[in-house]
Amino acid sequence: MQFEENIRVALRGLIEHKFRSFLTMLGIIFGVASVIAMLSIGEGAKRQAIAKYQELGVTNIIVRDKNLSDAELEEVRAKFSQGLSLSDAEAIKEIVPGVEEVAPQSEKSTEVKFADKSSKSTLIGITPAFIKILNYETAKGDFIDEQHYDNGMKVCVLGAEIARTLFQNREPVGEMVKIDDQWLEVVGVMKSKALFTETVGELASRDLNNDVYIPLSTFHKRFEPENELASELKQLTVKIESSDKLMVAASLLEEIIKRHHYNNKDYSIVIPYELLKQEEKERRIYNILLGAIAAISLVVGGIGIMNIMLATVMERTREIGIRRAIGARKADIMSQFVTEAVAISITGGIIGVILGVMLSLGITLFTDVTTFIRLYSVFIAFGFSVIVGISFGYLPAKSAANLKPIESIRYE
Amino acid sequence: MLIEIKNLQKNYLMGKIEVTALTEIDLQIRKNEYVAIMGPSGSGKSTLMNILGCLDTPTLGQYLFNNVDVSSLTDDELSAMRNREIGFIFQTFNLLPKMSSLHNVELPLMYGGVDKHERKDRAERALQRVGLAERMHHKPSELSGGQRQRVAVARALVTNPGILLADEPTGALDSKTGDEIMALFDELHNEGNTIIVITHEKEIAEYAHRTIFLKDGMIFSDAPNS
Repeated sequence: MQFEENIRVALRGLIEHKFRSFLTMLGIIFGVASVIAMLSIGEGAKRQAIAKYQELGVTNIIVRDKNLSDAELEEVRAKFSQGLSLSDAEAIKEIVPGVEEVAPQSEKSTEVKFADKSSKSTLIGITPAFIKILNYETAKGDFIDEQHYDNGMKVCVLGAEIARTLFQNREPVGEMVKIDDQWLEVVGVMKSKALFTETVGELASRDLNNDVYIPLSTFHKRFEPENELASELKQLTVKIESSDKLMVAASLLEEIIKRHHYNNKDYSIVIPYELLKQEEKERRIYNILLGAIAAISLVVGGIGIMNIMLATVMERTREIGIRRAIGARKADIMSQFVTEAVAISITGGIIGVILGVMLSLGITLFTDVTTFIRLYSVFIAFGFSVIVGISFGYLPAKSAANLKPIESIRYE
Repeated sequence: MLIEIKNLQKNYLMGKIEVTALTEIDLQIRKNEYVAIMGPSGSGKSTLMNILGCLDTPTLGQYLFNNVDVSSLTDDELSAMRNREIGFIFQTFNLLPKMSSLHNVELPLMYGGVDKHERKDRAERALQRVGLAERMHHKPSELSGGQRQRVAVARALVTNPGILLADEPTGALDSKTGDEIMALFDELHNEGNTIIVITHEKEIAEYAHRTIFLKDGMIFSDAPNS
């Protein structure tokens, strides 16, 4: 009997027993669906992490001034450290090999006012290098340029959210806002940025869309520091030419800063690339665990198939006897049952894939867990279900084929 | 000679005791004979039918079907033999309940490797032959007992087998329907088929032209019907 006939016989068998077939499939359906959902959760987490670190710049090294109490500040100043400063920036640029750009920045919590509205904000003093390093973009107007910086001009660029709060539908570019006792002209508005929802290393999360950028020169000339002893800078973002030079650059950079600060640990260094690698490693174990749990559910599904098929062999003894009496060979019976098992697992696999995809979409839609379905995970889940079908269908098929025709035809 | 049985013996293991179901059987059946095998229950007629139908092989002795020694055949060859040479008709019809009459009749041809179109064609003709052309697409549960047995006869006929082997073919039918089936057997015999009917009813055996009577696993008598 040809292969095609086998499939026809097996499929007819399944259709004749719809409900039973469906019950048999359930295990496979949930197994496949959970494999896909689990893998998509793992993949989603990975992509989210990559996006997060890309925002920080995967070839960047971030040096940040530590938040210290007044007493601690007094102590480090007494030990000659002046905190993070422009001279650190200069030293890094000169000594560390492979440095493409260094962007210094100062920060200050403040309030921005326009007309009768005001909003809490972080005022950030930057150089024009900032936008080059971080791939930020303006939605309207321009970013702080060389001219603004060199002349210490009273201009600012607003984050997307703060622009919306203060101006609503009005055009912000060209307007004057008041920060502390200074009036600044808005020259641009940033594009909205994905929110930073977790703390990365020493970088505390905050809403970047509420930041206001001004030239660093203006910042130092026009605004009072939060504290007399405060460091000149809050952060240095160092861009390295390529990721393979990153680790060498990082260790040298650390050495320089350490010396400049007379061994005072009043700074912290964050290397997004290293954190990304570390997180990837941790996540891999987690993903393997998730996958293993899902795979177990597939195997349990397979055992379900075997269980029900073994039971149906008993129930169908008579049918097998009849088929044998009219000329079916053992191999015909065998392949009929194996094909049935495979058809069950393939159909279950297809339903499982659909369910798994819906589950992943549902998770993304209704929870804050991001999922992403890679095509290979669909193939893995589906392929695995077929293997399960064949291997767990084999035993029942063999017992069916080995029934003696004389006994089975008289079986009541 | 179509069937030639020489000094056949069949033993069974019942638990640990070996039981002899058939012994010293010598039997010859020619083409186009119509034979009844009779005997009380336990006489060995079912065992003989299983051996004649290639469902089982003898312990000792020889069974030649068309000069082929059946006892030397492998399981697959026995399957092929049943498929091509034996047309079974059972007391309880033994149709597959979820399939239409047509599919049931097509089944032996499918296992025989006949292609789809020829299969359907031949199955339709077989059903026409037993007078069920109108019921082709009905399932067994939608048919009467007599009609079911006709489907079974059509299934037995469809491969043009060497023998039609009927085991109590009227046992599950009322006498009127039983007579109709036996009349159909007469017609099939007249068309050249070889028929062996196993029965314990004398009236049924009388339709045949020769009766073999079994008793205690041996042939008690073998004579043409008067």
